[in-house]
Amino acid sequence: MNEIFSLRPFLDSKWTHGAIPLVLLVALLLIIEIAAPGFLTAETTALLFANTAVLFILATGVTFAILLGGIDLSIQAVASLASVILAQLLPSLGLAAFPVAILSGLAFGMLSGIVHVKLRVPSFVATLATGGVVTGIALWVSDGRAITIEEAGRENTAWINATVAGVPVVVLISVVIGIVSFLALRYTRFGRQAIAVGAGEPAAWAAGINVDRTKIIAFAASGMMAAIAGVVLAARLSSGSPVLANQLLLPAIAAVIVGGTAITGGLGGVARTAVGALIISIVRIGMTFVGINIFLENMVFGAVLIAAVAITIDRSKIAVIK
Amino acid sequence: MGSGDRSDPHLTHWSGPAYSLAAARSLFADVVRCPATAVLQMGSGFLTIDTEPLKSVSDIERTTLMTLLPGRIAALFGGRRWRSLAPLAVLIALCVLISIANPNFIELRNLVRVANSAAVPLTLAMGLTFIILMGSIDLSVEGTLSVAAMVVVLLAANDSNGNDNGWLAVLAAIAAGTAMGLVSGLVQTVLRIPSFMATLGMWFIGLGLSVYMLGGSAIRLNDASIRELALARLLGLPLAVWVAAGAFLLAAIIQYYTKLGRHILAIGGDEDVAKLSGVNVTRVRISAFALAGFFFGIAGVLAAAQLGQSHAVIGDGRLFAAVTAVVVGGTALTGGEGGVVNTLIGVLIVTVLANGMILLGISPYIQQTVQGLMIIAAVALSLDRVRLKIVK
Repeated sequence: MNEIFSLRPFLDSKWTHGAIPLVLLVALLLIIEIAAPGFLTAETTALLFANTAVLFILATGVTFAILLGGIDLSIQAVASLASVILAQLLPSLGLAAFPVAILSGLAFGMLSGIVHVKLRVPSFVATLATGGVVTGIALWVSDGRAITIEEAGRENTAWINATVAGVPVVVLISVVIGIVSFLALRYTRFGRQAIAVGAGEPAAWAAGINVDRTKIIAFAASGMMAAIAGVVLAARLSSGSPVLANQLLLPAIAAVIVGGTAITGGLGGVARTAVGALIISIVRIGMTFVGINIFLENMVFGAVLIAAVAITIDRSKIAVIK
Repeated sequence: MGSGDRSDPHLTHWSGPAYSLAAARSLFADVVRCPATAVLQMGSGFLTIDTEPLKSVSDIERTTLMTLLPGRIAALFGGRRWRSLAPLAVLIALCVLISIANPNFIELRNLVRVANSAAVPLTLAMGLTFIILMGSIDLSVEGTLSVAAMVVVLLAANDSNGNDNGWLAVLAAIAAGTAMGLVSGLVQTVLRIPSFMATLGMWFIGLGLSVYMLGGSAIRLNDASIRELALARLLGLPLAVWVAAGAFLLAAIIQYYTKLGRHILAIGGDEDVAKLSGVNVTRVRISAFALAGFFFGIAGVLAAAQLGQSHAVIGDGRLFAAVTAVVVGGTALTGGEGGVVNTLIGVLIVTVLANGMILLGISPYIQQTVQGLMIIAAVALSLDRVRLKIVK
C-alpha cells in the first residue's frame, strides 16, 4: 500500500521531470509579483528576456553536449575569443567580422569534438584542454587587454542593440536560435541520433548510428552557439576581451541542468533549457532585489547546480560514480 | 580468430575485457561481443556460441587498437615500462633544448626561480594526483585555493581588519581547505553525483565565498613571519620550496606506505574489485577529497605568502596548470596508474616549459594554449584504451 502513496514514481516520471522547472519558474514569477506588485510590466519583461538572451544562447549550445552525455567546459573561452575576434576585425572587415567570429567558434567546437571522439579523451578533459588552447589564443590575439569597439565599428553592431516593434533584436536572435535548435533536435536525423546516443551509446552503436559524427556535430554546434553568444555580448558591451564570458560558464551549465536536462544524457531539450535560463536569470535579479551580495552569486549558483544535478541525474545509467 | 572477429575498432572500445564483474551491468555489450568472447553467461545457464578460448579476446582487442593513430604512437614508446619513463625523457629533452637555446637557463639563479614557481603547482598537484588516481577529478582547485588564501589573509595581520593570529591563521587556512575537500567528498558520495559536477559546483562556491569575504578587493598580508615563507631562504632556496618538498614527501609516504594510499590505488584500478575486497569505498573517497583539500589549503597559504595579498583572481589558471602537470606526468585519467612521483616530473615539465618560453621571448599568453595541447597529447597517449568502454 505504501507504494501507492509514495512520491517516488511520481517524481521519477518523465512528465514531472519536465514540469517541475516550469512550476518553479511560475512560482518565482508569482513571488516577484507579490513582493513587488507591478514589477512585471511589458518593459521589464522585455529587459528580462534581453538579459537572458546571451545566457540562453550559450546554454542551448551546451544542451547539445549534455544531451549526448558529455559536457562542454570550453564555451566561455570560445565566446570570449569570438568577442575578441569581432572587436579586432570590425574596423577592417565591417559586417564580415561576424561570420569570421562565429566560424572560429564552429572550428574550435569541432576541434573539441574531434579530440574527444577520435583521441578518446573524456569530454570534460578534452574541452577543458581546448578551452585553455582557446583562452591562450584569445589572450595572445588581444595582447591580454580588453578591446573597445570604437565609433566606426559600433555602426555595424548597432543593429544588435536595436529593437523591432518593441522587441529587442537580441531576443529575436535567441528565439530564432532556440527554434532552430528545437527543430533540429526533434525533426532532423542528427537530433534524433543525438538523443539516441545520449540515451544509450551501445544501443546507438549497435543500431548503426555514426556515433562519432553525431558527437562531433554536437560539439561543433556547441562551439558555434558559444561564439554567437560571445558576438552578441561583445556588441552589447561594445567591447571584446579574453575574459569577457568567464562568468557565464557556470550559469549556462546550471541553466541546462535546472531546466531538467539530465547530465547522464538522452533526456531533456532546448525548451527545458529556455525555462532553465529564465529561472537562472530571475534568481539573479531576485538576489539583487532581496539584497544578497553580488559576490555571493557564484556560491548560490554552485549550490543550485549541485542540487539540480543530484535531482535530475539518472543513476541507473552510471555503473560506478567517479 | 573466430567467426566473430570484428575489425571495427569502435565495437572494441566499449567492450573491454573486464567482463567478470562488468558482465551484469553491461550485459548489452556482452551480447554484441559474444561471438568473440565465446561464452555468454545468461541467468543460470551458459550459452556457448564459439569455442574460442577467452584469453584470445584481449589479443584481438590489442591488435585492433593499434590501428588507431594514438595507439601506434604509444607503441613507439614500447611497453608500459618505457611509457612510464617517457615524461622523464621529455623533461630532460626540454632542459637540454632550452639550455642550448638560452644558456641562462642553467644558471643557479634561474633554477632557483624555476623551483620557486613550481612550489604552488607542486603542492596543488599532489592533492589532485590522489583524486585522479581514483579515476575522479577535482575541478574545485581554484575555489579551495582562494578560500585558503582568503582565510590566511583575513585572520593574520592585514590591512583590512584588526586580526593578528599569526600561525593560527595558517592552521585555520589549511583546515578550511580540508573542510572544502571534505564537503566535495561528501557531496560526491552521499548525493551520488559524478565528481566533475560536484567539484564544479564547489569551485564556484569557494570562489564566491572568498570574493565575498574579501569584499571584491585585494587585501594585503602584513604578517611578517608568514611572508617569510616566500622571502626567507634556507640553503639558497625560498622556504616555500621546502614546504612544497615536504608536501611531496608527505604525499609519497601516503601513497606508498599507508592503507589510504593503497586503497585509493585499488579504487582507481577497479572500484568493484576494491569493494569486494572489503575496501570501504565511500570512506576512502571522502578521505581522498579531504586530503586533496588539505594540500590545496597549503598551496593557498603559499600563494598568499608569495603574492603578499589575496584577491579575487588568486586562483586563476591554477586548475589548468595542476591538471596539465598530473596528466603530463603520466597519471592516467582512468585511475589506478601513476602517482606522486609522476606528478613531480609533470610539474617540472610544466614549470620548465613556462620558464623556457619566457627565456626564449615567447608571449606568455600562449602558455595556456601550449598547456592545453599538452593535456590533449598526454591523455591521448596514456589512456588505457583496452579498459575504456564508453568515453563520455
